[in-house]
Amino acid sequence: MDQYIEYLPVIIPLFIIQIILSITAVIHVIRHPNYRFGKKQVWIPVVLFIGFIGPFIYFIFGRGDD
Amino acid sequence: MRPYIVFTKKELIEYGRTYKFFILFTIFIALGFMNPLTAKFMPKILESFMPEGIEIQLPPPSSLDSWAQFFKNVTQTGLFVAIIIFSGMMSREYEKGTLVNMITKGLPRQTVILSKFTASTLLWTLSYWTCFLITHIYTMYFWKGETVLELATSTLFLYLFGIMLISVLLIGSTLFKNSYGGLLFTEGFIAILFLLKLSHKIDNYNPLQLANQNINLLSGNLHPSKLKSPLFVCCTVIILSIISSILIFDKKQI
Repeated sequence: MDQYIEYLPVIIPLFIIQIILSITAVIHVIRHPNYRFGKKQVWIPVVLFIGFIGPFIYFIFGRGDD
Repeated sequence: MRPYIVFTKKELIEYGRTYKFFILFTIFIALGFMNPLTAKFMPKILESFMPEGIEIQLPPPSSLDSWAQFFKNVTQTGLFVAIIIFSGMMSREYEKGTLVNMITKGLPRQTVILSKFTASTLLWTLSYWTCFLITHIYTMYFWKGETVLELATSTLFLYLFGIMLISVLLIGSTLFKNSYGGLLFTEGFIAILFLLKLSHKIDNYNPLQLANQNINLLSGNLHPSKLKSPLFVCCTVIILSIISSILIFDKKQI
């Protein structure tokens, strides 16, 4: 474990960005339930569990118009 | 001048409200953090993939590896994401017919093009240099005292290459009513640049060099003055693209 402490200054911010991205996407998925394709039950796991790509795909392709 | 400022502002607000700015910015920040990390971990990752008993000797990672990751990630992931995000620049307006009102009320047509270009370039500038700054800070932190050559020139070249792609995307997006049209147009342009690489003579002028010779610049294998002609071609393409977008849009029925 000791050898990884050196990397914490990079890993922590990266982790925070990932969390911010996922949470923003989840909030958006729940609040705007009209999507270009897919359902809520599909989008929530996608934005939560597929790293950076999930929220990216949701915001660019899956997000419906307000 | 006033319509230009107002319309650019509207563009920026739109990028904010559609979460496009948020996505682009966070992805570039994440890339910024990942570059030094991947460089640092690469030998360990390779080791874990090796079958038991086989030993490989790898030199310890240096700051050059971190920058190699930067140029690899920004050209492959960063530019790709940016192009997808900007792909609907004009075509989305055609699809929704949102420009009709403003143009009939007297907004000059060239202002639309110039504002679109300014707003997207601003976003690219901000994301790119933030990514650069983060990588730079962590590279200095992990590899204290190590320096690379021509860092500013090399990153500036890639930045200009990005602007060139945005301007080409602007023509594509102005030409086609469907947002995939602009995307395909830009991809076609990149494919042509890759094809031109095959001919050694033309390759000396190929702007693609600005995006894939960066590591040679950093390690000192190539002098920046060798890339003068690609740089000139790149700037010409940017200016010509903007002018032709304005001309195309003038004739376009919206």
